[in-house]
Amino acid sequence: MRGSRRVRLILILLLLTAFTLTALDYNAAKTGPLASLRKGIDTVFGPVQRVVGSAASSVGNALGGLPRLGSYQSDNRKLLEENGRLKGQIASMAGLQCQVDQLNGLMHFVGYTGYRPVPAHVVAVGPASSFEWTATIDVGSKDGIKPAMTVVAYSGLLGRTVDVGPSTSKVLLIADPSFQVGGTIIGQSSLGVAVGHGSRPMTYSLASTRSIVRKGDVLLTTGSDTYAPGVPIGTVTSVTPDTNAISRTATIAPYVDVSALDLVGVITEPARTAPRTPLRPLGVGPSPTSTPCPSAINHGPVPTATPTAAPTATVRPTASSSPSATSSPSPSPSPEFTPTTP
Amino acid sequence: MTIQRFLLGAAAILTALLLQLTVVGRLPLPGAEPDLLLVLVVAFALAEGPLSGMVTGFVAGILADALSVHELGRLALAYALAGYVVGLLQDETARSTLLPFGAVLLGGLTALGAFALEGVLLADQHITVYSVGRAAISSVPYAVVLTPFVVPVVSGLVRRLDIDPLRRL
Repeated sequence: MRGSRRVRLILILLLLTAFTLTALDYNAAKTGPLASLRKGIDTVFGPVQRVVGSAASSVGNALGGLPRLGSYQSDNRKLLEENGRLKGQIASMAGLQCQVDQLNGLMHFVGYTGYRPVPAHVVAVGPASSFEWTATIDVGSKDGIKPAMTVVAYSGLLGRTVDVGPSTSKVLLIADPSFQVGGTIIGQSSLGVAVGHGSRPMTYSLASTRSIVRKGDVLLTTGSDTYAPGVPIGTVTSVTPDTNAISRTATIAPYVDVSALDLVGVITEPARTAPRTPLRPLGVGPSPTSTPCPSAINHGPVPTATPTAAPTATVRPTASSSPSATSSPSPSPSPEFTPTTP
Repeated sequence: MTIQRFLLGAAAILTALLLQLTVVGRLPLPGAEPDLLLVLVVAFALAEGPLSGMVTGFVAGILADALSVHELGRLALAYALAGYVVGLLQDETARSTLLPFGAVLLGGLTALGAFALEGVLLADQHITVYSVGRAAISSVPYAVVLTPFVVPVVSGLVRRLDIDPLRRL
């Protein structure tokens, strides 16, 4: 074999380089030369993918609509009756119909959750042969997208953003085996984790055995740093008790079909609940002139402090209670701390 | 390596990668999707031998790694190994019409096995018996089906450029 020694040497060098890169990247943070190499390639490829992806999306849509035609048949029949003039076009509009459905789903989502997702198109679907379920969308940091934002499609959870370039972002889809999201069954306080399993259905593991989960129950996101709360994930299709009897697992049919994606939305602003302020110790609020209510419950050793007493009384009531009680016994012990007024 | 050969390789890899991400990945095919990059690596290996195969595989793998969420270098290792293994068959396949199919099958299984083994070593959740088996019975056959479309084109282009310094190593 010609020059096989040299070729073998180069092979070993290449394999070692590849494995060194893997080892370096395995524990690497999101900084450093490897991350910038990755980001550089992403930044170069992003716009190209955007252009090629949108050009190819019409083809992709038409093809993506194919397996869904069956489920549309009944819908199509009604549409045909209603829209006689569209009869001839419907067959060629499977792709467009798909897009309309997706937009409809998103608008419904906006209607019932109040979220304002940033609309985006899927321009690429993750590289093959690495068993990952990712998609690239045509919005990026220029559109206000950041990593770890909730992405929705139709009217349910699609995934979260992972790598964000200037004009494109990568989305980790719910089917990915590393995808996990906290979920709650509607109407119950069940807490659990929904996990993706690639081409197999999602599962939802419940921490508690008490909450009742039935077939057909709807699963919503619980809400976390990453995921906006209240986003529908899917419906329960079956429940199996785990052999360990301390948890239960349900299979979930997600609302989103990750194999036919086009229009998606990125939730850039998670829902704000009522503004919250930290709790304060009881009694700091009211003025000293307000008559303190006679306490029904004995609070034990009551820390009383006159306004002239130690100013630390409000800060550390237990520490100041004994000296203030001995030095200046209060005539009317109040259950509340009297605040120091300047 | 002449500049034309370099440009051919770069153009082929970029085209395959873009087609893979924007078109092939969205095809409604049953099972795992076909892997255009792997077919390309095998085509170069069959046209020019082990060195060309593994360099093409390494470069294509690094780019695919960078565009995915797993660690850098994993696909590079898998493709480089597949390119080398298939390149060793170059002499035999030159005179056969059926052997390129076998070469793609071998290359596909090599890349899949290497990637899966690395995944096991790195405790990657994506690597399960189910997912690897699914790829072995769908993605690898797809690659074999793509062979008659990609392999003759690549070898024709390489021959037309008439630059095969890599073969004389």
